[in-house]
Amino acid sequence: MKTRQTCFLLFLLFSIIVVTGCWDRRELDSLGIVLGTGIDKGKEDPTQVQITVQIVKPGEIKGPSGGGNGGGGKGKPYLNVMNSGEAVFDTIREFTHVVNRRLYFSHNQILIIGQEAAEAGVGKYLDLFFRDPEPRLNTWVIVARGKADEALETNAELEQVPALNIAQLIEARAATSEASAVDLHDFMTCLMSKTTAPIASLLEVEGEGEEKIARLMGTAVFKKDQMVGSLDKTETRGLLWVLGEVKRGIVITPCPGGKGTASLEITRARSKVVPEIKKGTLEITVKIKEEGNLGGQMCVQDLTLPETWTALEKSKAEVIRQEVKAALKKAQSLNTDIFAFGEAVHRKYPALWKEWEAQWDEIFPNLAVKVSVEVKLRQTGMITKPVKPE
Amino acid sequence: MMQLEQGRISSAQLVMLIIGFNLGTSLILNPGWIAKGDAWLAVLAGLGEGLVFVSIALFLATRFKGKNLVEINDLVFGSYLGKAVSLAYLWYFLHLASTVLRSFGDFFINTIYPETPLLVFIILLVLVCASAVRNGLEVIVRCSLILVPLTVFFFVVDTVFLLKEIKLTNFLPVFDIAWQEFLRASHGAATFPFGETIAFLMILAFVQDQSKVGRRVILSVVIAGLLLSAIVARNTAVLGIAATIQSYPSFIVVRLINIAKVLTRLEIIVVTSILVMGFLKVSVLYYGTALGLAQIFKLRSYLPLVFPVGVIMVILSVFLFKSSLELFNFAFKIYPYYSLPFQVGLPLLSLIVATIRGLP
Repeated sequence: MKTRQTCFLLFLLFSIIVVTGCWDRRELDSLGIVLGTGIDKGKEDPTQVQITVQIVKPGEIKGPSGGGNGGGGKGKPYLNVMNSGEAVFDTIREFTHVVNRRLYFSHNQILIIGQEAAEAGVGKYLDLFFRDPEPRLNTWVIVARGKADEALETNAELEQVPALNIAQLIEARAATSEASAVDLHDFMTCLMSKTTAPIASLLEVEGEGEEKIARLMGTAVFKKDQMVGSLDKTETRGLLWVLGEVKRGIVITPCPGGKGTASLEITRARSKVVPEIKKGTLEITVKIKEEGNLGGQMCVQDLTLPETWTALEKSKAEVIRQEVKAALKKAQSLNTDIFAFGEAVHRKYPALWKEWEAQWDEIFPNLAVKVSVEVKLRQTGMITKPVKPE
Repeated sequence: MMQLEQGRISSAQLVMLIIGFNLGTSLILNPGWIAKGDAWLAVLAGLGEGLVFVSIALFLATRFKGKNLVEINDLVFGSYLGKAVSLAYLWYFLHLASTVLRSFGDFFINTIYPETPLLVFIILLVLVCASAVRNGLEVIVRCSLILVPLTVFFFVVDTVFLLKEIKLTNFLPVFDIAWQEFLRASHGAATFPFGETIAFLMILAFVQDQSKVGRRVILSVVIAGLLLSAIVARNTAVLGIAATIQSYPSFIVVRLINIAKVLTRLEIIVVTSILVMGFLKVSVLYYGTALGLAQIFKLRSYLPLVFPVGVIMVILSVFLFKSSLELFNFAFKIYPYYSLPFQVGLPLLSLIVATIRGLP
């Protein structure tokens, strides 16, 4: 009996050696970790797709000390590889001919689509990223003015890897709320909606050669899966007000009764889209509630008096309304329902919606939209009146 | 029969086992997804219909207290016809177990082990289940006592982490689909998983406190139904319309968890709960099949049958479906009708015959 137990224990111990491995094992040193993916139309043959992947070179990433005379420290900590092919999947697989490590997409942070490819329609390119188990749905979707491969070549002094830099630009956009942040899951949801137009962040490459940097520009607007236009910074914030995605930011208004401007910070914002039928026609009211602080003033008036304070609130509300109106105007001229008004109508009038759904392209450009903004200024900061002799 | 299984379980243990059994594959194949945003309502409606099925089985069980399915059939239909009816049930259990196994294999291949052969998962899972079945009912039940609360705990934690991704507007408008579609979805949920509780007719006889069995079974199916509805609702609230094309919504949903970039990539938690729930479901069906066969062939022990039944299950699960698509089609188009005779037809027939013959 004793020997049987010993044998069994030994068997269990030995099985540890054998059982750890399986078909799908991936050793860290055999992975090419992809941090960014770019999709363009093929350079020679525009019917093809050109994929750029940015792979980390773990050996090149060093601490801030630099080491000075440590050999080989000059190399870039990343590697950009490009390949063209007929389909996304096979183009990515063919990277095995160039890169010795198997590409690993689970840590892919961004998916950059070149403008030309975006205008031709992105559905066919994105399918793989929804279907394959490796890429994740919280990858940021970005459209690059120009080519996606150039955006992945931009300089990233603080971050070493451009893709990480761009991903963090998008995460930091909350400070201004002037660029949209859309991940694959949001994009997928919009693509599946019959009326809502998908959006994506818009990126521009500035400068030449080694000095190139990436700058977030606003929003790329899609109709179905084709990019049809873009929103600038103001229009983007207008859109984000409606979507309720404004986090923080600065609103500049003229100082009441004087020269110069006041900068008002946004600290909190909420929105509500209310569709109504008035006299047989559909009307949409966007209700925005905002809270903020006085962040700075470039004029000499005392803004903390009750009447100037309310005047400031009023003019801030007006600026916000203008931003929303600007976004509305652009969206209606592009005939893209980026605000998901259609879905709001669908939720409130499911029966009538069946009829409207098909005609939404005719209804949306002429839709009457009312914007009501409620602004509350809360704090004045560390000082009250501006610094000047009493 | 009582010599075949010495173990006895308490009615509280039964509750856990039934909950685990009902959650089983439902974490992989979302019941009620046909109803889109109303899937959670479809699951609740399905629970109502499923409870009717379960009650019929319970009437049968309480009429023949302390007897299990095979013995009941022998009494009601006579020795020969009864055996044939029992074999039909056992086929249903075996086939269901194979389908469950296959959906597990497919799930693992599609999500985290794309290169590992299907057979590896199926054989490994069957080996674990076989060990549980060989050790008897009490062992399976004790497993459920640990595994089910763990799964529920994981679900709650996942959902809390997902709170900021939840958009309640995804549920609106309510009842946006044709009522035929809704009924199709709710009937699907009634037969899978609630109606499948019929398999417990093999086990109810081993519960110590027979007087409580009926209420406890109903209670556990209701709890399982509410849990399932909550899971489906969570998936819809997070994924929205995309939930209708995701192959594994319960899995993909957890991938969206991102708490300050620290708590991310938690999907292995779901994979674990899916695995252990599958283990419970297969074990119960496996046990029922082996025990039933032993009774039919009047063996003194069901242990010699565990291995052959396992082999048949492995073979069936590999050859029943050519692709995961075929499995999907079977589960959502054919199964709701194929399962009806076993879940309602035969038990109802037994009840009627028993009443006419004045049994017991």
